[in-house]
Amino acid sequence: MKKIRQLLILALLLFLAGFFAKAQEPAAERAVVSFSNPAKPGTLEVGLHGGSITVRGYEGKEVIIEARWREKLLTRKETELAEMAEEEKDEEEIAKEKAQAARAKGMKALQVESTGLTVEEEENVISVEVELGKRSVDLTIQVPYSTILKLSNSEGAITVEKVDGEIDVNSSEGPIILTGVAGPILADCSDGEIKAIFSKANPGKPMSLSAMDGDIDITLPADVKASLRIKAEEGKVFTDFDTQLTPSYQKKEEDERKGGGRYRVAFERTSLALINGGGVEIKLNAYEGNIYIRKAK
Amino acid sequence: MNCEKTREKFADYLVGDVDEKSLAEVQTHLAACPACRGELESLSAIWTKLGVLPREQPSSALRQRFYAMLEAYKEGMEKERTRASFGQAVSRWVKRFMPRRPVYQFALSIILLASGLGGGYWMSSNRPAVKREITALKQEVNDMHGLVAVTFLQKASPSDRLMGVNWSSRIAEPDEKILQTLLDTLNHDLNVNVRLAAVDALYLFYNYPQVREGLVNSLAQQTSPHVQLALIDLLVEIRERRAVEALEELMQNKKLHSRVRQRAEMGLAQLS
Repeated sequence: MKKIRQLLILALLLFLAGFFAKAQEPAAERAVVSFSNPAKPGTLEVGLHGGSITVRGYEGKEVIIEARWREKLLTRKETELAEMAEEEKDEEEIAKEKAQAARAKGMKALQVESTGLTVEEEENVISVEVELGKRSVDLTIQVPYSTILKLSNSEGAITVEKVDGEIDVNSSEGPIILTGVAGPILADCSDGEIKAIFSKANPGKPMSLSAMDGDIDITLPADVKASLRIKAEEGKVFTDFDTQLTPSYQKKEEDERKGGGRYRVAFERTSLALINGGGVEIKLNAYEGNIYIRKAK
Repeated sequence: MNCEKTREKFADYLVGDVDEKSLAEVQTHLAACPACRGELESLSAIWTKLGVLPREQPSSALRQRFYAMLEAYKEGMEKERTRASFGQAVSRWVKRFMPRRPVYQFALSIILLASGLGGGYWMSSNRPAVKREITALKQEVNDMHGLVAVTFLQKASPSDRLMGVNWSSRIAEPDEKILQTLLDTLNHDLNVNVRLAAVDALYLFYNYPQVREGLVNSLAQQTSPHVQLALIDLLVEIRERRAVEALEELMQNKKLHSRVRQRAEMGLAQLS
């Protein structure tokens, strides 16, 4: 069978400083892409290595992508981090860099002109990618409300507004800010906070939010039915819902005393908080940060 | 005014309940549109026919039927009353056998309760068929949980896979396949949240040697600092001494997150 395949590749080429020196603000590149099957919720995948991602739900059927390239390669904070990474380099890497510098002796480096942004549509999945090692980019993307999102950014913020579909989002350095979302949501952020304001909580599938260094701050509708499984290793848990934290039910018993061993009982290490009698399962994992569970006003 | 809007007005038009403006509009449209004229004619024909239908008069038989029904109802009520007094008779009969003193009443109820429990226990334990059936049923539920878990773990959506991990933690005695699937999830799943859930699920099965070994080996494969932390915590908690080597190896990595390094050092101290 001939595979029906709709493949659209937009390679957006942008030229550096000289070209845009006169522009007041960095110029935006814009691409409009439609899903091959607009009747079904499509998926948007974005993979970024620095910069920011903002996704907004809107009334239309197409996906509108706007990319603004940053003037500098990296922001100040990012430069600091790059310096730190420099210090942490091991001998092997330093030797490699020295060898490269020796090779390029007496020559000057040319700036790479392509920014390497690619937009692709295949089987109702639109993927947006930026080549590694290029300038940071701020992406603003408008999507139909029901779109499924898969967003990842190795350094920088991710913002999502008004999207009802499943959201899978991770950023090494947050913050991750979700507003007017319904879930299911899987978010993970190692060095920043996660903030999620739910318009409602889609029942059925479980959700999970994990932050290592930052806080987790979620706002749920007052009448939501939810079972929160909470793990806060070092932080505290705050809420204005009428609920209690109870150790969860799973229990393991071990008796090795007959063989000269020990006896121990272990409980599953999460706590459970039922809101309005319990319902959709939401896991909150924080390591250092606090967890805030707010009731929507 | 188009055909659709005109036809909406027909009912009002026929009973004469339209204001002058609408009336004029309907009439202009009718003059121009033969289709609507035809529609109105057939409607008004039905309307007049409805008007001349004779009014239904109750027949004399109706009166008779009504009284027969009333009589039947009265009879039914009478029967109900006699049945109630029969119930009272039964309870009086039971009362004669009931001991007067509360102490005896209490003793009697204890005896009845004990014999009920004993009988139930005897029935369930002395019938191997039932016992076998229960074991088979338990096994079936276990297998079903496993099947659901494995199916969901292979889905594309991360929240489905998370559900798969949650299902697997309901299994009382997981077989090798389920344990292996969970370990694969821990090592290869693209989503950090799913991997973290796999750590929690595997914690419940740590007394299986396969799991202990898998957890130790997994440490080197993890790239997310959060999963690394969760794994170190787990290995320290189950006092897995083989983890010492894995932890030392992990700390060789120069790019290790400072917090993970700190925790790994603490873990090493606790384990050795």
